[in-house]
Amino acid sequence: MTSIDSRNERGASIGLALLRITLGVIVLVTWKENLDKDLYTGDGLAGLINWLFDAENGNGSSLSGYKSFLDSVVVPNAGLVAAFQLVVELGIGIGLLVGFFTRFFSLAGAVFFLNLLLGYFGGSEWIWTYVLLLMAALAVFLGYGGRRFGIDQWLSDTRGESPFGLLW
Amino acid sequence: MLIGVLWLYALRWKLPPSFDGRGQRSLEDWLNLEVEHAAFGFYGGLINDVVLPNLTLFSWLVFLLELLVGLSLLFGLLTRLGAGLGLLLALNLGVGLLEVPGEWPWSYAMLAMWHGLFLVTAAGRVWGLDALLRSRSLPVRLQLLT
Repeated sequence: MTSIDSRNERGASIGLALLRITLGVIVLVTWKENLDKDLYTGDGLAGLINWLFDAENGNGSSLSGYKSFLDSVVVPNAGLVAAFQLVVELGIGIGLLVGFFTRFFSLAGAVFFLNLLLGYFGGSEWIWTYVLLLMAALAVFLGYGGRRFGIDQWLSDTRGESPFGLLW
Repeated sequence: MLIGVLWLYALRWKLPPSFDGRGQRSLEDWLNLEVEHAAFGFYGGLINDVVLPNLTLFSWLVFLLELLVGLSLLFGLLTRLGAGLGLLLALNLGVGLLEVPGEWPWSYAMLAMWHGLFLVTAAGRVWGLDALLRSRSLPVRLQLLT
């Protein structure tokens, strides 16, 4: 490997770590805002879903198939799903920020951002926000983003590879 | 590539020669919002005193810059140049729209992060025309942009 290659590789791993940390901060800040807005309650989540697909006073999202899924699966269990989101989003934020179990939390983040992308698609919100977030989570997952400036670096040094490569 | 598409897609509401938004908010509308809800006084003043009085010139500048960045990232051509310009555009958007109601500043932070990543990784050398360019003997200055 030439010194230019190794310099580029080092730059890439640092860039990926910064992307991971930024993503963690974004998730945690948003988590706190959502908590303050009572969105992690059954009523809060059901209200958000209604707002998403409300064409007159809400976002006006257009994926009717996804709305059917949310209406039939999520809304009837909104309290449970909201509590699940409260815990999982906090886990994603902290995991990404400190680089702990980054493979797991970045994949969970990608699923979470895909859900947001589908939920907001076709509405008034700038949909590229969710594309950027989804791409960032996937890049951190594929690039083992916790192995620079993260706890995963120590885990991989001391314990080798994680089971199925899905934790660090 | 996707971020190249993002920039090109964003051009559809600021197309020359009218730059009129085509049924959406125009560039002029957005600039007025940036003045009205300026997070930094000097930035609002700059938009109000320099950009808005020369709107046609700046509309062309924005259009050409975004076109250049979009094509550069999409095709991986002089990617470091495109990424550097895209980073400046993303930071400009973030500063200008920070306090505009309905805008989520983290979108622009993430956009800036991506361009920073392309800049440090020279992303056009994989699946991009930069790989082709670098296989030929290029002047060193041009190589730095790939």
